[in-house]
Amino acid sequence: MAEVLTVEALSAGYRGRIVVRGIDLSLRRGDILGLLGANGSGKSTLIRAVTGQIPLIGGSVAIDGIELAAAPERAKAGFGLAIEPHELPATLSGRQYIELVASIRGCAPDDLPTDDLPGGDLLERLDLRRWIDRPIAEYSLGTRAKIAIVAALLGRPPLLIFDETLNGLDPVAAWEVKRVIAALCASGRHAAIVSTHVVEAVPALCNRAVLMADGSLSQSWDAAQLAEAGRVPGAFEDSVMQALRMRAAA
Amino acid sequence: MRHDGLVLILLWRELVAGLRAMRRRDLAWIALGGGGLLAYAIADIVIALHAAAPKLRDDQLLWMLGLPITFAALGCLAGNAMSRLCLSRAFAPFLKALPLASAERRRMAGVGTFALGLPFTLMIAMSAGFACAVIGKPLAQAWGLGAAILFALGFGTAALWRLRRPRLVLDEAASQVTQVGRSWLRRLDRARPSWLSSWAWKLPAGHIRPSWKLAAAGLLLALAAIVGAWASLAGHSAGPAAVAGLAGGILVFMLGLRCQPLGSPVLRTAPIGFTHVWLRLVQLPLQLSLAFFLLPAGAALAAEPSAWSVPVASGLWLLVLNGAYAVFGAYFLNAPFVAMLSFAGALAYASYETLEYGRTVLIGLAALVFFLWHRTRQRYRNG
Repeated sequence: MAEVLTVEALSAGYRGRIVVRGIDLSLRRGDILGLLGANGSGKSTLIRAVTGQIPLIGGSVAIDGIELAAAPERAKAGFGLAIEPHELPATLSGRQYIELVASIRGCAPDDLPTDDLPGGDLLERLDLRRWIDRPIAEYSLGTRAKIAIVAALLGRPPLLIFDETLNGLDPVAAWEVKRVIAALCASGRHAAIVSTHVVEAVPALCNRAVLMADGSLSQSWDAAQLAEAGRVPGAFEDSVMQALRMRAAA
Repeated sequence: MRHDGLVLILLWRELVAGLRAMRRRDLAWIALGGGGLLAYAIADIVIALHAAAPKLRDDQLLWMLGLPITFAALGCLAGNAMSRLCLSRAFAPFLKALPLASAERRRMAGVGTFALGLPFTLMIAMSAGFACAVIGKPLAQAWGLGAAILFALGFGTAALWRLRRPRLVLDEAASQVTQVGRSWLRRLDRARPSWLSSWAWKLPAGHIRPSWKLAAAGLLLALAAIVGAWASLAGHSAGPAAVAGLAGGILVFMLGLRCQPLGSPVLRTAPIGFTHVWLRLVQLPLQLSLAFFLLPAGAALAAEPSAWSVPVASGLWLLVLNGAYAVFGAYFLNAPFVAMLSFAGALAYASYETLEYGRTVLIGLAALVFFLWHRTRQRYRNG
């Protein structure tokens, strides 16, 4: 299967200061990668570099086979990023925001991957219908996160990126979103990166995980290791905490 | 009160953080390039004042009316801007939970405003006194003091008016969530990408909020267009209407252009290029600008049909100036007022130097516009 994301020897940072370095990563359709790390470990910087929000200092990023540096607009069509809630255009209504993103992506506002989802209508499942015509400024953090998630799925991009998006959701919405991500990736048409501090959610949701520390990938888990860790309650969290403590002590 | 200096502390910290966030190379450019330019400008002004000294010394209208009004108006503008700045910090969302009464916050803002006003007043006093000394005006120091008093009066009046009504600032923030009026833009704003102008203009859910400011601006612009048209028709000359069309057209464009979506990750992580977004943001203000231009231009043509080239040239200049301002607006995407001031400053400076060095100076202005466009595009692509 072709790789949806290929990151090679990536170094990136701010104003010439390197924050993440030497990152090699690849994702195929069906993969759900859990991106873990302490605050300031470089998770968000890595996501900003992969989504073209900051320039690469070294290395390369290719999305669905298209080099981000060479053809940024074409490459960006290959992923859907759930924007951080505070960065949504607060004055637009949820519907207008969805129409804005749909018109940028050149798809219909209802072009969501509903065929791959059990239970159909995403807006209904995320309890967004009663909010959709209100300005985003009136939304709670969780409702903003939901609208950002729906917008990320518009046009069915092969790579879905969620940067701590699950953190602000209520339990029902978080459960629904995890089911949606799992179902979409199980369809074999999408891959997902889920950056989160909710370590215990990773073995249940993801089939791969990486731990970032000091701007580089310090440990990774494949599907078998995650499945193994998921069998014993707390085992995966223990291994992550151990790795973090070892890193802090070093 | 122990909180009185809070607004100043916040502003100081923001300034320090802003300077620290800048690259040393950029800081050096600003300090050396800006310093050099300032020194050159001062030298140039001193020479110009020297040359015009006899005329300036005896111009009664200038000393009795022109300068007092200018200093008072400058004071009003500065007082309004500084009090708004301080009020926005005193009523900042992150201070909401603190046990500070509204009166206390207003006092904090007041202390900040007047502390910021002091250096401005000193600068006005020194500049006016220095200029009077250069042209050999008797009692130069007294004139400097007078200018400072007028500036301070204007500053204080505007600041006190604003500080007694912090609701005006707060209402603007609240208007983001209030739907008032009708979504008149619905048809116009559905060009791809849709709703971009509503976002840029911060219209709550695309609804235009009627306000006295909007009505007053519309009325003034309509009046300017009618007066310009009337002057041309009465005098059978294309000039006045063409100038009114050009000046009003660029003003409408400057007031209408908002580019803050260019800084949002919503667009920067989407499959859409800078030029596409920029052109889309320019589209609606340009339509409004040209709509305003049509009435005076039509009157100019009717008043003097043989001088058809005057309104045509005026229209072409309007397009060129709108294009140039669109670049400034995109560069200063979060500060439209700074964009307007910078653009007006660049135009005024280029016009002044053109008198001395001829039209080759316009190449410098064009280079500046291109440089700003390039930097804005780079920022959009690379953060």
